[in-house]
Amino acid sequence: MQDKYKFLMVSALSMSCLMAGAAHAAKDPSLAIPAWQNAVPDGRDTPTIDPMILYSSGGVDGKMAVIGIPSFKTYRHIDCGVDTHEISFGGSNKGNKNGTPDGKYVYLNDKGANTVCEFDLQTGYLNRIIALPFPFGVHHIAMSTDGKNLFATGEYSGKMAKIDIKSGKTEVIDWGPSPSAPDYIDATRNGKYVFAGNYYHSTVGVFSTSPFKLIKEIPVGKNPHGTDINPESTMVVVSDKLSATMTVIDVDKLAVKKVLPTCAGPLHSVMDVYNKDGGSYRAGIDSPDGLTSKYVYESCFVADANVKVSYAKLEVVDEIPTHYRTGHISISPDNSYVMALNKFSTGLFSPTGIVFPVNFEMWDAREKSPTYGKTLRIMPVDGEPHNAKGLMAYLIKDWTKGQAEQGGLITGTTELLDPPHRAHARRWFIPKETTPPGVKTVDGVKEVHMKAFSYGYIPRQVRVNKGDKVRLFGTNIDKASGITKNPDVTMGLTIYGPYGQRSNMDLPRGVTSVHEFTADIAGEYEIFCTHFCGPLHLEMRAAFFVDDPKKGPSNLAVGDYDKAQTLPGLLEGGALTIAERVKGL
Amino acid sequence: MKNAKLKIGLIAVTSLGMMWGSAASYAAPEKRCTAGGQKVECPTVTEAEAKAASAAFLKEGADMEAGQGGSTYGIAPFDYLTGVGKRADSDTKTFKTHSGYGSDTKGSYKTELWDRVKAPKSDGVTDKSVYDQWSGNWSPTFGATLVAGADPTQGKNYYYSYCIACHGWLMHGDGPSASELDPRPRTLTRGDYMQKKTNLELFTVIKGGGEAVSLSSSMPNWGNVLQDQDIWNIVAFIRAMQDVPPPKSVTEYLNPKSTFKPIKGDVDALNASKSADFKEAQELIESEMTGRAPGSELVGGGFVEGGNRKKPTEVSVKVAK
Repeated sequence: MQDKYKFLMVSALSMSCLMAGAAHAAKDPSLAIPAWQNAVPDGRDTPTIDPMILYSSGGVDGKMAVIGIPSFKTYRHIDCGVDTHEISFGGSNKGNKNGTPDGKYVYLNDKGANTVCEFDLQTGYLNRIIALPFPFGVHHIAMSTDGKNLFATGEYSGKMAKIDIKSGKTEVIDWGPSPSAPDYIDATRNGKYVFAGNYYHSTVGVFSTSPFKLIKEIPVGKNPHGTDINPESTMVVVSDKLSATMTVIDVDKLAVKKVLPTCAGPLHSVMDVYNKDGGSYRAGIDSPDGLTSKYVYESCFVADANVKVSYAKLEVVDEIPTHYRTGHISISPDNSYVMALNKFSTGLFSPTGIVFPVNFEMWDAREKSPTYGKTLRIMPVDGEPHNAKGLMAYLIKDWTKGQAEQGGLITGTTELLDPPHRAHARRWFIPKETTPPGVKTVDGVKEVHMKAFSYGYIPRQVRVNKGDKVRLFGTNIDKASGITKNPDVTMGLTIYGPYGQRSNMDLPRGVTSVHEFTADIAGEYEIFCTHFCGPLHLEMRAAFFVDDPKKGPSNLAVGDYDKAQTLPGLLEGGALTIAERVKGL
Repeated sequence: MKNAKLKIGLIAVTSLGMMWGSAASYAAPEKRCTAGGQKVECPTVTEAEAKAASAAFLKEGADMEAGQGGSTYGIAPFDYLTGVGKRADSDTKTFKTHSGYGSDTKGSYKTELWDRVKAPKSDGVTDKSVYDQWSGNWSPTFGATLVAGADPTQGKNYYYSYCIACHGWLMHGDGPSASELDPRPRTLTRGDYMQKKTNLELFTVIKGGGEAVSLSSSMPNWGNVLQDQDIWNIVAFIRAMQDVPPPKSVTEYLNPKSTFKPIKGDVDALNASKSADFKEAQELIESEMTGRAPGSELVGGGFVEGGNRKKPTEVSVKVAK
């Protein structure tokens, strides 16, 4: 008997004494799978026409996925670049994390390429790429209240940015001292402040939006990640990853209001949103003012759970197990479902390749539902999604039957960037190598041997000269993910920016990944992990220095950063907006 | 180590067995390390011990996937009525689960990690705060420090996050990745070696990595992740664990007795800013560090309050007498 089936049998039998509802599965183990696949016999929860659509950043696959809610069927994938991260709808940030989409555009930042991709929601195509200034290393973006700007964190440089979406003009400011890693970001719904967590400072920075500058740093728990503002813009909830707490910041006082223990390894939060009448908020129909929220849902990576926190009580009121290791978390626009974007699927799915898929898990958040707190859907997903946000499907019109000839869809020439990139690199797998970490020259080629472990890279710094041919060897030396012990741990290794597409490595256990390219653009470019490998995934950082002998050693101030912004190897023509660096917006 | 009472969180008890007191079997004849100005053999576990530790961790991962050893993985099939992994209570009409949180007093079905491991009553441990629910481990808190201006309890938190993969849960150099590294990671508890290493040397190698002291690049530079005060806290934790053997009970584990005696004239977190040696080492490390942009805000060696980090002058843990 195969282990997998034996395991299912044991599972089913062990459940019989625990679960009344699983009794049928216990009688005949072969029924264990159908029992959860056919959740509702009448099929009402698996519609073919979904009332809501989830837009998901694909992460390491460089794409955006479009998924139906509640069917949890993937409609399509749209190409963007290297390692996509945060979804942000055009329109306004009023409301909860889903904002108030106007149905025109959705923005997705590409951490690997240091860009922001603009997709046209109505045509369903990638429309434009905004290439951000270097050095930066965009981690997340947040929409402004008036819909004109995106605010962005520069995780790999300790910088912050304010982007004018239309022109691409970008104001970049430093947030020191080093080490500094601004990561998650949100903007108040009154246009006044931007809040961003600084992962290495263990603070939340408060920025005024105009002029764009740091006005205060508020100390929070260890290594904060999610920094999320409620629709009323009165509270910021911060997920203190290494302190297992949620720090609640009072926006009026710009001070900590309460610190509450939530769960092991808290990462991100979402909250529900209600209109003035107490109904779920309908963007485009209800007024975007006077919106409120009742509960915040926080993902708990180490605890394999989502916790529900009452805004009124500021305490944990419920906890939902997830499968497994939730990273980001998303809520449907009608507040009915919470989607746990799980980073591990240990033992759950059929293998389809050397990298095991991660999954999305949708649980019922309707308190009066008989299935409240239960998992309704769980699906393997492409890539390694970071965040996903949803909108009501009525915001996307039906253009599929020629309606565009009446106007309203496009005006003038619309560039299509599909696909937007070429690799400019050779890549292959070899059996797991045991060469010591470091750089050595072999036949004139700089061989860089890197080991990835939970949690870090060795060596931590790599220096090559401009013009060098580089052969990069990446090896995952983990036995299982550190601390959480998931054995299906995959690492990634990507040098952000101009080397993003050339170095975008998957590092599954047991083999060594090799990429070969020419280091033709000088500068300091961070190396980061593109697979969420464990609770300290964010610490998976190293740096790739390409030194130009004429200019001396590279650092964040010395490098061919103008050339890097043109993204050679990533883009061949198309609508690239070079974000001009400006002093003030 | 076969004490059944000793359930130290998720620690692999198996990986600790026989790791201590085997100095005679160290197989590194080359004197690559420096202690007290002398070249000495590097204190590490043997290759066989490192491999055994890796294998034990691998097994823990496999056990977890199979739902063994306290893991909830794989135990619950996906079930519409009862939810995944969440047990239904006796209400067979609605099958609504009572979590036991907040005002819900009907159930007690909390399932998160911090409830998976209970304090073993037999050891008389009643202080639940010592259970580090994040790292899934019982761990000591320190009322005193051996490094002025640095807090070993804060350092412990980062040690368990960043250092265990190679140096191991009990600092013996037997973390799950140790077997993959050559040279192997140091045993950080060996008093005969560590007593001769100055705080300045420890700070330098943690912040600047092995390359900063002309040793292996396998020891990464942590100065691109940690602030100086975090590093000082880790130094204090290492000092607090010198010659601490594998514990025989939870009580013993929670009360480690270090043999470290502060070295005369050594740098510590409190006096580092006045030390010329420290300044010189800092300049060397910072010049090589990532994430820096000379002439801008982005320079290192600063201090930002946050994450329970205190300035050296404000660290309330007093120096052990």
